[in-house]
Amino acid sequence: MSLGNAGIGQTGHALGQYLSYLTARQEAIASNIANADTPGFKTRDVEVPVDFSGAIEEARDMVVDVPGLTTRNDGNNVSIDREARLLAENTLKFTLATQLLRGEIKDIRSAIEEGRAA
Amino acid sequence: MSLFGAISISATGLEAQRTRAELITENLANADTTRTPDGGPYRRKDAVFTSASAPLSFDEALSFASGQPDGVSVSEIAVDDRDPEQRYLPGHPDADAQGYVAFPRINPAEEMVDLMGASRSYAANVAAISSVKDMIARSIDLFR
Repeated sequence: MSLGNAGIGQTGHALGQYLSYLTARQEAIASNIANADTPGFKTRDVEVPVDFSGAIEEARDMVVDVPGLTTRNDGNNVSIDREARLLAENTLKFTLATQLLRGEIKDIRSAIEEGRAA
Repeated sequence: MSLFGAISISATGLEAQRTRAELITENLANADTTRTPDGGPYRRKDAVFTSASAPLSFDEALSFASGQPDGVSVSEIAVDDRDPEQRYLPGHPDADAQGYVAFPRINPAEEMVDLMGASRSYAANVAAISSVKDMIARSIDLFR
């Protein structure tokens, strides 16, 4: 795999893809919450791309309906509890990924500055 | 696909819920209004929510599952067309020949429950925005 022009390695590249996926998912969650009172609206989610080497670019095309939710009388099946959990979960995952990415960048900076900046 | 897109989606939710809350407070304020410019008593109003950029054509419906996440918008303000409530108040200036006055058909308990729902949904959208703000701040931190 090519390292790309950013100079970060395979891990950094994969982390970037993961952040793209989390961003797409955050949009889906925001949409579900915004439509919590829209009659007939069905909860949507972004599928986890199995192959991280490029599949994430299509994250937007992988918006899927979520099965197993209770549909209310107005045809809406948004569970605000599920969305609140995903919101928290997604933010924490994003924090984790950015922290790991910072580590990667720190390594490069260390190399640039000849090991002086740890 | 961006974090700012997620904020925009939540913002449509805030706007829709605020409109709904405004209509509910209008209904409560006018619960006893017997005169309106259109004549007759005030009529209850309700916001109708539609998922923004909802699919219309067959082609769009087919690609619905792969569509991008939608916001929400108030597509219509529905006006209650039920007959007004008749109350026997012979001394009232708007009383008819039989002494009945037409009052709006508004149930304050129903309005309060709706108002609570609107307020809770508004808070949920605010929570979504603040969590996205957190994510954006983390991304900016990558440059430090």
